[in-house]
Amino acid sequence: MTSQITTTLNVSSESQLDCALDLMRRLPPQQVEKNLSDLIDLVPDLTEELLAAVDQPLKVVRDRTAGKDYLLCDYNRDGDSYRSPWTNTYTPAFDGTLPSDRLRQLEIDANQAFEQYREMYFEGGVSSVYFWDLENGFAGVILIKKVGDGSKNIKGCWDSIHVVEVQEKQNGRAAHYKLTSTVMLWLQTHKTMSGMMNLGGSLTRQFETDHQITDFSQHIINIGRMIEDMENKIRQTLNSIYFGKTKDILNSLRNSENFQGRIRLQQANFTGELQSALNRTRPVE
Amino acid sequence: MGETLTDEEKATIARRFIAHAPPGEFNEVFNDVRTLLNDDALVRRSVSKAFAEYNRDQYIPTKVQGVEEECLITDANDLSDSRFYDPRTRQSFKFDHLRREASEYQPHTSDEQSEPWRSTFEKELTEYIKERYTYGACTVIGGSDADTITLAAFIESHKFEPKNFWNGRWRSKWSLAFTKGQTECELTGLIKAQVHYFEDGNVQLVSSKDITETIQLQDETTTAKEIIRIIRQSEDSYQQAVNENYQVMSDSTFKALRRQLPITKAKIDWTKITAYKIGSELKNA
Repeated sequence: MTSQITTTLNVSSESQLDCALDLMRRLPPQQVEKNLSDLIDLVPDLTEELLAAVDQPLKVVRDRTAGKDYLLCDYNRDGDSYRSPWTNTYTPAFDGTLPSDRLRQLEIDANQAFEQYREMYFEGGVSSVYFWDLENGFAGVILIKKVGDGSKNIKGCWDSIHVVEVQEKQNGRAAHYKLTSTVMLWLQTHKTMSGMMNLGGSLTRQFETDHQITDFSQHIINIGRMIEDMENKIRQTLNSIYFGKTKDILNSLRNSENFQGRIRLQQANFTGELQSALNRTRPVE
Repeated sequence: MGETLTDEEKATIARRFIAHAPPGEFNEVFNDVRTLLNDDALVRRSVSKAFAEYNRDQYIPTKVQGVEEECLITDANDLSDSRFYDPRTRQSFKFDHLRREASEYQPHTSDEQSEPWRSTFEKELTEYIKERYTYGACTVIGGSDADTITLAAFIESHKFEPKNFWNGRWRSKWSLAFTKGQTECELTGLIKAQVHYFEDGNVQLVSSKDITETIQLQDETTTAKEIIRIIRQSEDSYQQAVNENYQVMSDSTFKALRRQLPITKAKIDWTKITAYKIGSELKNA
């Protein structure tokens, strides 16, 4: 049965990372935390790379000093401690990496701006922005988490993770922005008629652009617009993939009389089938 | 993360990953796992048993010689030593769990006492499959123990389109057990559906439902038709309920997580947002 496995592969750690990331794209996202933890146990040498590369649902923690919640991710972690965007200190207490003074002020302003953004689009939830210095600019992550109220017996949750890299050019008069956005959407329900139904996962998109800059604080405006446009696009795609595509695929597996999804997929295949049928009816030479 | 795992602990993780490979992606998941383990002797020793478990769990359909209809690989028709039998064609075969191919055919007689019930059930079920499943296959296994007859029916339907970044599979299992003279018995069903979409992301639908119904026992044909009637009704009802959930998730749950646009019906004015400072920031210097 396993006669094909006769030699051990010689693997590089780069190809192991590729395989780990491929695995995370295939294993059910509903168990992403356990999958990541198991992966790290399997290849502990890749721990730091995996923690940085694999998105996880965001955890919410209370900053008791500030009386506000903040979100945890690998970017505000140093060792086993996490930095609060409100007090700029680590919990558990730790002398960890902090943004430069100029960047910290931008971070404070960005957190406020994105709190307003969050309130206008999400009408609730928690947001956090973390910046860190780079050689020729800076990078940041903008996080948003919104948990649904569980009404109609359906649990829902949205996690946004926007990572932006800003390269300053022309002595700070221009900048190149690179945005990588991941949105995780989780929906689940347990009802008598439909049993257990869990629809979850994430989509990732990227975008790059350039802007002229006259003041350092303008970065928030540029980053804000990019993220708003990106999130609006991803929201649309989530809608069509989650509630369109996966539903159509399910309905193609079984033809219950009332559903059109099967018809749509059949129509997409129709041209191919018609061609095959025509080929079959041609007289044999 | 703690100490390094033993080989057996790593093999346990590897087997769990393989067990969770989405429909149509066993090869990719296996290759990823093999590269991460980087120890083919361990794979042969402790991981290969997961291949057979995966195939039996997925009700993998296999082509068998002599007929169009595929035979499903399940726990119920497992003769051990990687041999399975197809009651429809009265033959057993060796199954290669990695290549997913049948060979070394031998004649095989099903249990005599249950055979009249089994073959009638199979005949009706095969008609039902043609009606409700464009890509489906089924296998019915019969057994007996003294006066008790057991019947287990398996339905499998899948569609794989990895070039379009998606795969999906439906599985149902319906079973009953009765003794001669009983006028009614319990029919138990378990339906599972899984859809994986992975273009620039990882989105999965995982759904399952347990069903219990009572059926009247009469002659083989009447009983078989009654069983099919209940199967059709239960599976239609489940599929409809899942579709209704999709509607509620899309219309209510998703909308309540994040609006399409703010209540102003316009995108955010970032210049205004960054100019407005919330009073509390003054104490977060």
